[in-house]
Amino acid sequence: MKSAKLIIVLTLTAIISGAILSVLAGITQPIIDEYQTDVLKTAVGDVLPNINSYDIKIIENTKFFVGKDRNNKPINVAFEAVGDGFQSKLKILVGMNLDMTKILSIKILSQLETPGLGTKIETDPGNKEDDAWFGKQFINLNTSSSLTYLKNEKPDKSKGQIMAITGATISSKAVIDIINATMAINRPLFTKEVN
Amino acid sequence: MAKKKISLLKEFTKGLWDENPVLVMLLGLCPTLAVTSSAINGLAMGLAVLFTLTASSTIISSVRKIIPKEVRIPTFIIVIATFVTITDKSMAAFQPILHKSLGAFIPLIVVNCVILGRQEAFASKNNVGRSIVDALGMSVGFTITLTVLGAIRELLGAGTIFSLQLMPDSFVPWMVMILPPGAFITLGLMIGATNWINARRER
Amino acid sequence: MTIFTIFISAAIINNYVLVQFLGICPFVGVSKKLSSSFSMGLATTFVMTMAAAVTWLIYYFILVPFNLQFLQIVSFILVIASLVQLVEMFIKKMSKPLYDALGIFLPLITTNCAIMGVALFLVMKEYSFIESIIFGFSAGVGFTLAIVLMAGIREELEIADVPEYFKGAPITMIVAGCMALAFMGFAGLI
Repeated sequence: MKSAKLIIVLTLTAIISGAILSVLAGITQPIIDEYQTDVLKTAVGDVLPNINSYDIKIIENTKFFVGKDRNNKPINVAFEAVGDGFQSKLKILVGMNLDMTKILSIKILSQLETPGLGTKIETDPGNKEDDAWFGKQFINLNTSSSLTYLKNEKPDKSKGQIMAITGATISSKAVIDIINATMAINRPLFTKEVN
Repeated sequence: MAKKKISLLKEFTKGLWDENPVLVMLLGLCPTLAVTSSAINGLAMGLAVLFTLTASSTIISSVRKIIPKEVRIPTFIIVIATFVTITDKSMAAFQPILHKSLGAFIPLIVVNCVILGRQEAFASKNNVGRSIVDALGMSVGFTITLTVLGAIRELLGAGTIFSLQLMPDSFVPWMVMILPPGAFITLGLMIGATNWINARRER
Repeated sequence: MTIFTIFISAAIINNYVLVQFLGICPFVGVSKKLSSSFSMGLATTFVMTMAAAVTWLIYYFILVPFNLQFLQIVSFILVIASLVQLVEMFIKKMSKPLYDALGIFLPLITTNCAIMGVALFLVMKEYSFIESIIFGFSAGVGFTLAIVLMAGIREELEIADVPEYFKGAPITMIVAGCMALAFMGFAGLI
């Protein structure tokens, strides 16, 4: 009798909690999904300049966002690059030209790096002129060779060089490594499919 | 816990100082250390705990008589986990930007010992009114402590408080303060200072 | 990610206690004596490894197929609570002195954020089953490492001349800060 009561109380609690949560999930999930689609849409627009619309093309389980101009002609392409940063997973959207020899722009979609240091890959409040300077270095960056990073030297865009963030070398390096690795996989995949 | 006589006001203020969950009871240290790299994060975490703790205490104290002793801990945990999920999902849906910076820590409120500790030590033995007051006092104490800790670390580590520049431009931020070691050392100094103040008050 | 990198990263570089701030309560509470802190470390490692395996199975075989991810927190914490209960019964039967030594801290493993942290991180990092088990185990090793090191230092601190108001928790925190500083040196190892 006693144990029956225990089981009843626990089961009831679990059922009530499950019911409340499923109602809640029903309400919030669409909002969350919609927000995330919105974020991705904006991000694709940010990394692919001069596009009118974009198509999602899936090649061997990899998603490519193909940007198109006013005449529906493909002009550039974006993809997500995911990998490990210093203490969190980094998700980066990379926009490139069609033969993937040049990065047009990148955007960090998600990161939970060390506040005040690693987070500078996204925004650097310490830099008063431009708090997104790190990401902007990738604009029009030549990728015919792998990207590399430098410290205390002026980087050369035509050689694919990036200035690392002081105090956050690992996060800076992670961004570069993740882009390099994903590019190496995606370039043959995409160029083969398109041409 | 047979001190039923103390006034409601006392029940509230004890959480602010005498039984401050972080500085005196040393509970809930994980979120305290993890999120306090800036004042705003500390404040937001404190408010999330405030909601979860008050809601859980309300429910637990109102059903305390029908929960058998043997299964009280699992029941508490389910109730707390439910409220944490509610906080997590609502924040993700309605405050997506704030959720992004606290994301990984919100689910961890479920294992914040302050919340389970208050259910076990207070809400399961007292009526609803007292439990709510106790929960509010505890979480306000928690929030203030986290905000102060976050403010100190942000000020010394980045020269700002709530993103407002306070230090002169010539100030070189002590990077270590916003990194893990700074969290431990600052909290250690704060607990030491609390001990010192309490000892002086007793004299 | 290879098994070795997962191990090094979870046990040392992203040490659960000193870098990720998970499992601080037992870290401060049980680190007074070397022997009991070692047992605490072992118990936590055991529960963590088990919890990693079980939560992985629950997530990918129950929650994902039925689209119930919103029950993640509730189901994980319940699994962990029951696991801890099992370990507690087991230790009580096997070794009375050990049970007495760990005292009230065993039930507190339930609220040890490190274990919940493992469960949440393995989902977030999308580890495979084997990787999850290695991850849980390595995080436990990292926890044991930190708590045993701390206990060693605290036994020395007993006879050191610590300012009166800093005895106990405050000095532990400050020592932990110094240890965290040392552990930051491992960053960049991989």
